[in-house]
Amino acid sequence: MRGAAQALALLWTAMQLAGQPTVAPTPEAVGPARGREAGNYNVVQWFETGYRLRSVGGNAGKYRSDVNFGNGVRLLGGRLSVNSRDGHGRFFDEIVLGMQGLGNDPYQLSSLRVQKNGAYRYDFTWRLDQYYNPALTIAQGQHFLNTERRLQDHELTLLPQSSWRLILGYTRNRQDGPGLTTVQQFDSRGDEFPLFADVRRERNEYRLGGEIRLFGVRLNWLRGWDNYKEDTRAFLALPSAGNNPADLTALEALRRDEPYRGSSPYWRLNLRAEGRVFAANARYAYTAGRRRFVFDESAAGIDRLGAARNRQILLSGAGRRPVAAGSLTLSVAPGSRLRVASHTAFHHTRMEGDSSFREVNNLTLGSALIFFQFLGIRTISQTTEATIRLADRVALYGGHHYSARRIRSLEQFRTGPVLERLPAEQDNVFHSGQAGIRLAPRKPLSVNLEAEVGRTDRAFLPIGERNYHGFGARLRYRTRTLTWSVAARTNYNTNAVSFSAHSSRSRIYSAELSWTPGGRFSLDAAYGKLHLDTISALAFFAAGRLNFQDRSLYASNLHSGTLGARFEIGRVSLYAGYSHVEDAGGDRRRAPGAVASLPAFVAAQTFPAAFRSPLARLSVRLHSKLRWNFGYQYYGYREEFSGRQGYRAHTAYASVLWSF
Amino acid sequence: MLVLWYGPAEAAPQPNAYVGSEVCRKCHPDVWLNFYKNPHYKTLASGKEPPERTGCEGCHGPGQAHVQALGDKAAIRAFSEMAPRQVLDACLACHGADLSKVHLERSAHTLAGVDCSACHSIHRSPVAKFLLAKVQREVCYGCHGTVRSQFSMPFKHRVNEGFMECTDCHNPHGAPAPVWRLGLRPRLVEAALATEEPCLKCHSDKRGPFAFEHPAVRVDGCETCHQPHGSMNARLLRRPAVFTLCLECHTGMGNFGRQGDGITVQSASHDMTNPRYQNCTSCHVRIHGSNADSRFLR
Repeated sequence: MRGAAQALALLWTAMQLAGQPTVAPTPEAVGPARGREAGNYNVVQWFETGYRLRSVGGNAGKYRSDVNFGNGVRLLGGRLSVNSRDGHGRFFDEIVLGMQGLGNDPYQLSSLRVQKNGAYRYDFTWRLDQYYNPALTIAQGQHFLNTERRLQDHELTLLPQSSWRLILGYTRNRQDGPGLTTVQQFDSRGDEFPLFADVRRERNEYRLGGEIRLFGVRLNWLRGWDNYKEDTRAFLALPSAGNNPADLTALEALRRDEPYRGSSPYWRLNLRAEGRVFAANARYAYTAGRRRFVFDESAAGIDRLGAARNRQILLSGAGRRPVAAGSLTLSVAPGSRLRVASHTAFHHTRMEGDSSFREVNNLTLGSALIFFQFLGIRTISQTTEATIRLADRVALYGGHHYSARRIRSLEQFRTGPVLERLPAEQDNVFHSGQAGIRLAPRKPLSVNLEAEVGRTDRAFLPIGERNYHGFGARLRYRTRTLTWSVAARTNYNTNAVSFSAHSSRSRIYSAELSWTPGGRFSLDAAYGKLHLDTISALAFFAAGRLNFQDRSLYASNLHSGTLGARFEIGRVSLYAGYSHVEDAGGDRRRAPGAVASLPAFVAAQTFPAAFRSPLARLSVRLHSKLRWNFGYQYYGYREEFSGRQGYRAHTAYASVLWSF
Repeated sequence: MLVLWYGPAEAAPQPNAYVGSEVCRKCHPDVWLNFYKNPHYKTLASGKEPPERTGCEGCHGPGQAHVQALGDKAAIRAFSEMAPRQVLDACLACHGADLSKVHLERSAHTLAGVDCSACHSIHRSPVAKFLLAKVQREVCYGCHGTVRSQFSMPFKHRVNEGFMECTDCHNPHGAPAPVWRLGLRPRLVEAALATEEPCLKCHSDKRGPFAFEHPAVRVDGCETCHQPHGSMNARLLRRPAVFTLCLECHTGMGNFGRQGDGITVQSASHDMTNPRYQNCTSCHVRIHGSNADSRFLR
């Protein structure tokens, strides 16, 4: 029995270790694996408390964007589970509480499940993410964010094992914190200015649903109310000459409020019936989206011609976006060798709103009308897939997918006294087919080969899928102690019409190995390569001349690898790992005759960069209920694109892992 | 011994009858000892389920022949010996009607022969929920090695850090076909509010509706510009510099866009040799949609 408990503990440890991406919390077991008895309950618990530290050289902002671990004391991890031994607890049969990073980590989470068999099940999750992003390559770093996002989710299911059940849910998502944004004044050719922004966004969703089973048919319904709002304010802290000194535009003051209140009440109905050889599922969902908004911006300063300006823009209105979606899925298994599934779906969305909004210009005491642009998208799709088992170890599968999409839009402009309307309607039709073969030549080995081809008569975007095909292959070998797999996939897409050409090629290769010969040693390794190159037609103005014979050539060769090994010697366990991601860029930019004429394009079309992170962790069992841990992880980022974002960070932690 | 223990008590046993989970524990104490923590234990605890849906035999089938054959695996439904399709059928006998699994039959996983036991470990799960064989991300990475690479990039959603899970956006048991793009991809993506891209669950400020929508977002989805798993580029963009991303669509050529006459080419006032105009979003700040300006300037 003790051996079985040890095996369970070692298995748990080994499974937690695979590809461990962050050095802490420590994935080692402490305390009795089977827990201890407390009355009619069994209790398993462990907690890890420790101190994190870091030292960053180079671009600290980029470090915070990528990693963001800081200094201080944390509850690095913990778990408590309480289970009734006979499944007849008085108030509950199971409590599972998990936590990570509580106290001060940038990524904190906690989850709780409480349930009593046949009576109720309650799930709760709480998460916090400290999001810091200087984004130096976006808007010159002036779209900076230093916000905190908190998510919580509650779901209570009453009578979960009954033929009818009731579900109540609540989700909350809040993001707030300081940021930067930019504004352009006073006309479309004026200078741009960085602004401070106090970001405040919130979303609340309430759900009420149920399920009834009658005569073999299961009806599931859900009614939800999703409300979201934003009260972000942006303002100019000090008078500014703008980003471009050569431009005369200057701002003395600016204030912008643009609150909105949105609501998306929705219904979802699902009906399922199944028999010996068939299953049918019908689903319908409707969301009645609506958003009311106000935009109030007042700015004072000098325009690009040197004249004093004082402008206020005041807008208010409401937009609506009703969405209806439905599907019917039929699965038939006429024999043990053949399965056929058919899925027919539609999706219809309309974006419409108040017909006009008024923009007030208090300099001229004039106003302008702004019209809501209608956009409607209706898609009907049909997919049929079949699997045929030819023999015990061979199966073929294939399918066809068809989509028809109609896009309607209406743009309105006022040119002087005339209101111009620009209605448009277009249809896109898409067909794709896929086929594959599954082989199991020996018991732990499986092989998959598949191919896919697709054709669209009219892609919506120049870079969209139009004529594409792809091939994939995967080998997988899995036993209790050894798992390895290799996979390769290649995709080609061309989207060329008159005057416009786009093609893309991607090749993906990956290999994985996980070997756990015993509880005292385990090894995990993975390698992946993602190659992508695209060529796209371009049109842009340079020095007042339209250049439309140029091409955008983008090449990326991403190599990534992880390696991790765990050793256990007596009371000591040691883990060492290494993670490396590198974009080697591409050399197609040097191909004769293929170089874009604009130097900025040439510079931006390949982005050699490397991100690596070795780590090591030592854990010593001091007592059956106590471990001491120490770990170190290095993060290094280097780029050859702008050279401004590289950093080297040393992070470490020391902790105790304890159980009582 | 087991035969003697069980056999004489039954007057006329059927060829393969249900014997009850108490019999199984005699030979499988390691499984039984922790079984009360297993979600499937509910079937035993309730005492109301028929034998074919109760305890060990609810999944493994009637055990009498297995007992009489002194543990012969061929005499019982042993999942380690079963073909993927058989494993799937056995699990779906109870779970097939769960709302989250109604599309399992036609999911990409099922087509590829991935059965339940590829991800779930019914008796030795090390995680607290859903009987997963490993922590969730490692289950997925086991086959999707390139996704591991993407989440190891500098800009990524925080899956490796534990803040998010794959199932925040995906339903590994299958989802209705996505309809915000024409093709089959992205696969296994669960719609938010039953109708829209899951990105909007968290990024509700991008939801709109806006007076001026960026049609690319609504018609072909967020993945037109972003790589949702991870990217070497800021804001998970598909290109390291924003202006290349914008200009690859805004060519004015072909029959693309909402009017089918090409997507608007940039203004003649923009001189792309001037670095100022290579920061598109410095001016076009409301690129996901605006209520105040058709060019997304505010």
